[in-house]
Amino acid sequence: MVEKRKIKVVISKVGLDGHDRGAKVVSSLLKEAGMEVVYLGMYQMPEDIIRSAIDEDADVIGVSYLSGEHLVFTPKIVNEMKKHGLDDVLFIAGGVIPPEDIPSMKEMGVNKIFVAGSLTDPLVEYIRSNVRGK
Amino acid sequence: MKSKKGLFNPDSIQEIRNETKRWEKEVYPREKERLEVFETLSGIPIEAIYTPEDTAKMDYLRDLGFPGEEPFIRGVHPTMYRGRTWTQRQLAGYGPPEETNKRYKFLLKQGANGINGVFDYPTLRGYDSTDPEAYADAGRGGVAIDTIEDMRILLDGIPIDQVSSSMVTCQPIGNISVQSMYFANAEAHSIPFNKLTGTSQNDFLMETVVAIAPEVLPPKASFKLSCDAIEYCTKYVPRWNPVSFAGYNYREAGCTAIQEVAFVIANAIACSEELIRRGLDVDRFASRLSFFFSGHNDFFEEIAKYRAARRTWYRVMRERFGAKDPRSLALRFHVQTAGVALTAQQPLNNIARAAYHALSAVLGGAQSVHIDAYDEALCTPTELSSLTALRTQQVLQLETRVTHTIDPLGGSYFVESLTNQLEEKIVALLNEIEGMGGIVRAVEKGWIHKAISSEAYEYQKAIESGEMPIVGVNCYRIEDEKLPIELFQVPETLEIQRAKLERIKKERSSTNVQKASDAILRCCEKDGNLMEVVVEGVKAYVTEGEVTKVLKRYYGIWNPPLF
Repeated sequence: MVEKRKIKVVISKVGLDGHDRGAKVVSSLLKEAGMEVVYLGMYQMPEDIIRSAIDEDADVIGVSYLSGEHLVFTPKIVNEMKKHGLDDVLFIAGGVIPPEDIPSMKEMGVNKIFVAGSLTDPLVEYIRSNVRGK
Repeated sequence: MKSKKGLFNPDSIQEIRNETKRWEKEVYPREKERLEVFETLSGIPIEAIYTPEDTAKMDYLRDLGFPGEEPFIRGVHPTMYRGRTWTQRQLAGYGPPEETNKRYKFLLKQGANGINGVFDYPTLRGYDSTDPEAYADAGRGGVAIDTIEDMRILLDGIPIDQVSSSMVTCQPIGNISVQSMYFANAEAHSIPFNKLTGTSQNDFLMETVVAIAPEVLPPKASFKLSCDAIEYCTKYVPRWNPVSFAGYNYREAGCTAIQEVAFVIANAIACSEELIRRGLDVDRFASRLSFFFSGHNDFFEEIAKYRAARRTWYRVMRERFGAKDPRSLALRFHVQTAGVALTAQQPLNNIARAAYHALSAVLGGAQSVHIDAYDEALCTPTELSSLTALRTQQVLQLETRVTHTIDPLGGSYFVESLTNQLEEKIVALLNEIEGMGGIVRAVEKGWIHKAISSEAYEYQKAIESGEMPIVGVNCYRIEDEKLPIELFQVPETLEIQRAKLERIKKERSSTNVQKASDAILRCCEKDGNLMEVVVEGVKAYVTEGEVTKVLKRYYGIWNPPLF
């Protein structure tokens, strides 16, 4: 019998914003929930994140935003995902994201958004129920 | 030396001790306690009640004294807020300098009495707005500055010989250029350097631990840049505070109140040692070292923290460095209310939170205060939210009368006991860092990174478990909440900065730019003071990104630990 593979999550900041507290804490909490987490650190560009997601064969990409850069980077990340055929990888965004931007981000192709103050259980639950069947 | 008498008569203390025991045994247990553990945010146990016994070993004149005198715990100035109230220094910065200049003027007109400029990520990390790494971040998190022309626009119409400016330059690599532009711009307006008052942040931990940049300079190089700016200001800009040790930001990244104070003081000790090694007398620079703390949720612990920080600093300066000038011995600090304590949920609640944070700062004797805007967990503050934050300061300052006596909580059995305990723990941590070889070494080893991120993790765990209630987040939630506030849109920045950079690069003398860049490189090679050459460089319209490239070429880059 093949042992079931752990869910693999790539977590990253993007661009020059250095507020990494949330990304690090979420990385630790998901590890604790039994997932395999690859934390890329700060200052990744969309291409870097996608390359890591491919190399790691990730199930989930999690990106942490803070100061409005989500509107610039989200379409780029989604395009890179499409270009490389990562259609079955979940893309989750978190952090300081104004609620009025959430519908347009979902339209762009973000699967789920967890704003500042979200708790871990719903996130873990969401990943477990929506991750691709492997 | 002053007297060493205790605060109380020993017989009374014995009597109080006996009575306390009786009360604890017979009276207190009549009712049940609400929680299993009562402790401060940094984990110090809190007793049901504090009595004279908890402060009995203190010597009033040695341990408390009077405002404006050793050990400065009751306040750094003799009259404190009865003479002059704290500076209301509201942070502002976004988009291109043309836009931020308008917000500065707005806040000054509304009664703010100092500028508090925050810079965008590319500026803090030493990039030009047009750099391929920076395109998405121009104007975000602060104002974009690329050349001295941007500095001129930013300060246009603001009398910088009368208004003090705080420049939240964060990292030495960004500070060296931005600060140089500020000084060079003053010179261009014929304002003598001794008229300039203000503060720049310039903290090497900001570069190597808290908000590390891609391709960050090695800790030693970043530390050198920080010390160069301090040395430069000590010699040429005597009323400028060339460093503000950014405990606030360490705290935002996750550390406790104890770590916050220990890390800034360890940092200040390292800078002092380096400046003394460079031949400066401690009393020439120590009075200009300034501190920046966070005003967080634990009201009394925060008050005790500010007081403990003052006494620890006094003892370090007096005992370790032999400083004599009272101004070297007095720790002066700015407080910003904790951004990390704000919630995106029910954002108007943040007005109440930030007001408590600010009250603790004022009861702790802060020299200047910024109150966070209620929408900061959602976006850059709007004009309305910025104004509300400023008005919160004014209500505190003008209506509550907390300013009418000095150190009003001095003598509180609880606050004095907490102050003593915090000081003890801060000193223990300072000794631990010393044992590692000092703060620069502790950064190189990744020890500080680990200490901060493990505390951030514990903090979140306490929220997740409900052990630490946060209103609107893990209790009293409103599902499908409709936000009653308008959100700020960052104005177009990149194209405006690009147009200016393109024009400047055409108009400036490329010979002068080359000369200036060469001078910076030569200064690196002979380990000279870099600020002296960067100030000249920016006058020739060398851009911030160009300065950074030379520095990185010479010092190389460092890969900081992720956790």
